[in-house]
Amino acid sequence: MTGFARRLAGKLLAGLVMVWVVVTFTFFLVHALPGKPGDVQYEQYIMMGMNSEQASAKVQAVYGFTSHAPLLSQYTGYLGKLAHGDLGQSISYSGVPVSHLIWSALPWTVIPVLSGLLVSFLIGVVAGIFAAVKRSSRWGGLLTVSGSLVAGVPAFVLALLLLVVFHTEWNLLPDAGTSDIQYTPGWNLPYIGSVFQHAVLPVCTYALLSYGGWLLAMKSSVVSVLGDDFILASELRGITPVTRARYIGRNAILPLFTVLALSFGVMFAGSFFIEDTFDYPGLGNLLLKSIGTRDYPVMAGAFLLITVSIIIANILADLCYTLIDPRVRR
Amino acid sequence: MSRPKPLVAALAVATIAATALSACSSSSAKKTNGGTGGGTGGVFTSIDANNKITAGAPMNPYNAAPNMFLGYNIMELGFTKNDPADPNALLPGLAASWTASDTGLTIQLQPGAKWSDGTPVTAADIKTSLAIAYTQGTAGPVAGAGGTVVAGSNFEVSDVKDLGGGKIEIDQQPGVKNLYFQRLVLTSTIVNDKVYGSQLPADIWTQIAAVQGTDAAAASAASTKLAAEGKTIAAFAPAKDISAGPFVETRVNPGEALLDRNPYFYAASKISPKQVILRSYSGNQQIWGYMNGGELDYAPYTSMPTNILNQVLKAGYTRIDAPSYVSASIAFNEKQAPYNLTPVRQALAYVIDRDAVTKVGEPVGGIAAPTTTGLVGSQSDTILSADQKAALNPYKPDPAKAASLLQGAGFTKDASGQWHLPDGTPWKITLQTVNGFSDWIAASTIVANELTQFGIPTTAAITADFATYQKEMGAGKYAVGWWLVALGPQTDKAYARIYGSADGFSVANGQATHNDSAAGNWEHTPATYTVNGQSINPGQLAAQLSVTPVSAQGPIIAQLAAATNQEVPMIQIWNYTHVMFTLDKRFTNYPKTGQDDLLANPPGVWMMQGYVQGK
Repeated sequence: MTGFARRLAGKLLAGLVMVWVVVTFTFFLVHALPGKPGDVQYEQYIMMGMNSEQASAKVQAVYGFTSHAPLLSQYTGYLGKLAHGDLGQSISYSGVPVSHLIWSALPWTVIPVLSGLLVSFLIGVVAGIFAAVKRSSRWGGLLTVSGSLVAGVPAFVLALLLLVVFHTEWNLLPDAGTSDIQYTPGWNLPYIGSVFQHAVLPVCTYALLSYGGWLLAMKSSVVSVLGDDFILASELRGITPVTRARYIGRNAILPLFTVLALSFGVMFAGSFFIEDTFDYPGLGNLLLKSIGTRDYPVMAGAFLLITVSIIIANILADLCYTLIDPRVRR
Repeated sequence: MSRPKPLVAALAVATIAATALSACSSSSAKKTNGGTGGGTGGVFTSIDANNKITAGAPMNPYNAAPNMFLGYNIMELGFTKNDPADPNALLPGLAASWTASDTGLTIQLQPGAKWSDGTPVTAADIKTSLAIAYTQGTAGPVAGAGGTVVAGSNFEVSDVKDLGGGKIEIDQQPGVKNLYFQRLVLTSTIVNDKVYGSQLPADIWTQIAAVQGTDAAAASAASTKLAAEGKTIAAFAPAKDISAGPFVETRVNPGEALLDRNPYFYAASKISPKQVILRSYSGNQQIWGYMNGGELDYAPYTSMPTNILNQVLKAGYTRIDAPSYVSASIAFNEKQAPYNLTPVRQALAYVIDRDAVTKVGEPVGGIAAPTTTGLVGSQSDTILSADQKAALNPYKPDPAKAASLLQGAGFTKDASGQWHLPDGTPWKITLQTVNGFSDWIAASTIVANELTQFGIPTTAAITADFATYQKEMGAGKYAVGWWLVALGPQTDKAYARIYGSADGFSVANGQATHNDSAAGNWEHTPATYTVNGQSINPGQLAAQLSVTPVSAQGPIIAQLAAATNQEVPMIQIWNYTHVMFTLDKRFTNYPKTGQDDLLANPPGVWMMQGYVQGK
């Protein structure tokens, strides 16, 4: 077995153990939440005029997928099904497979978050280099301030701000959903255009929120690299500024690369606040709804996806790091 | 490390494509934001307040979260009028008319009633639908927590007979009387037998007969089977919508549903909109945003402050008010001292200024409760006589009376003005409310201020969500918290809310028994009250209401109202008003304030009656 394969096998094994630990932890954690599925619905049935017996029976009928088996037996059953790729059935959407709900929500998280992530990374890194190199100038200072400012704004505040300006006040962009329902979904221009239009505000929110972090991290990294001996040495040897900039960029971006790789994993969690504000039906929104309705299988399924994606991203980041930084291989 | 140039190029291409595509569909945003114009064939846009519209959820009205909409593609034989004087009064739906008798009900289907596939609505559809209702707990003997059949609290349909010519006889189980049989049968959801019939076992009516039979073991076994069949029905996902309503579902996006006009609807000529778009919403702000942009033709009520109301009216919306049978109250757990003492609860009722609290908590959709009776003000005004109303204590804000009541109960006030319990402990209150209930949260701050100023330091605490609130309230964790009462218009249900399972009362065969340690009992009031020198059992009286004709309920209600007013198991703070908004821009001829029977229903029902016409 080569060193690379050995390293990969070790990381996969550790990843599997970590998945099991997290699955076990989240299974018991979500079941420990106070309240049970149907509690809220029971109240609504009472308000609709049912008596308590009718409301209880109706809850039993529509939320009949709740298991009444002991928790340990539910846990072993869950693990057994999981081993066969079965995430179970949703409680709040009685009978609908969890995997179906997750697959439906997945694209509406991955596409906007990925777009936002890449845009913010590119702009943040370039702006970070500029802010570091020109840190004594007014522009460098302004960039740093802009990074600190947007990094400090809570997601829901920024989302609401964009919503009010671009939808409520100027009415330039739609505020909610994924597309205009009057267009038939498929590979047709009006529908795809509508999807793009609806994605603009969520993507911009993601991008603006993470831009500050990339900028500040890159600036700090560049400033640190600028003080390294090899930069001084390269200056003394008369190496051209362009080549020197490449040295700086390559070395400074290494710590950010790990964060970027992890961000790909975290992206599967979506963003509760952004998806909720724009009523964007991604994984964050699904998870939020499932917590509200105590839909244990959906909660467990969503947490599992997030966990696995973060672990995979972590493993990939480790492996890629060995490729991009020769020092690690030694 | 990847080279940046190809990536930048790819992003540039994507940006250009996005801009071009956005330009292609630029009219779409305008379309939804400004509507598509009225006239016959326009698009009617509204919010569905009940459903989180989710792509992939079944088009099955029995599912827990269905993509189905009452009055649009969910039909009933009749639609409620919410008439407090006669809960059985209904608007025609799929049934054009009906006649009640001692043995049941005979209905006449609408002439020309058809499904959206062009086939007629038949007696088989009604029979299947009523059988399904049995499995869903909305009809028939209901299985209790232990699987025990609870008879007498629901409508017990024993048979459905096709009399020909669209006339259908629906028999009630012999010997069973239910005041609301007509209402419950006629407001059952009607589904297509060809779609749903195959989901039921062939012997479903034999099972129902067994449930209604005298053999307890057979009844219990049949009840268990029915419950299991109910779960199968709830999980069923029809391939497409077949509707007997004015609209049929064409497409569902996450958070949005598109419905097309059903050309086979029996009153299709009355339906003006060609399409209906129904949106779900994630928060009140979203509805306010839609309304500010004039995007909704109809908006259901959402709690809103006065400045938002003004914005909405400025955007061209008309406010319509209809009765609502819900009251926000502050309830007590009488197991926790000092709330077991009647003078304490009465004193708190004197301290809280309901007008001031309502102005902050629910300024648009609330009317300060005139007093506490267990019913909303408009209902108790109608039912109680002038003398009975005059005898009620209005609990007008009066700190002196409150102080006197507390001193009489052994409470003391120290030099700093703080009240102490009879044992000398400083009295503090934690007023519990729920995250997301913005009106309760806002009102709590005022209540807390008022009580603190009176000398009882009060803090408002917020529970994370309603499921937790229910759980913790049931577990007796809160001493004082917000609660909804006066749920009507059926008065037995309004009082069962207070003197029912939440108070340890359970009803069997019309007899209420009280068990203070029963599960779910968090109020812990005594089993009997002494009112005007007479001992009364509120649980028994509430149970009695359910079998007493509306015309004869007055004396029982008078006793319950007087008892509730005297004992104050909760303080009614405000009664909700059903406020809704319509936009007279693309459509016109909406029902107006005062047309309560129509306003008790969603706009699809208005359309069936010829309302909502394109401009």
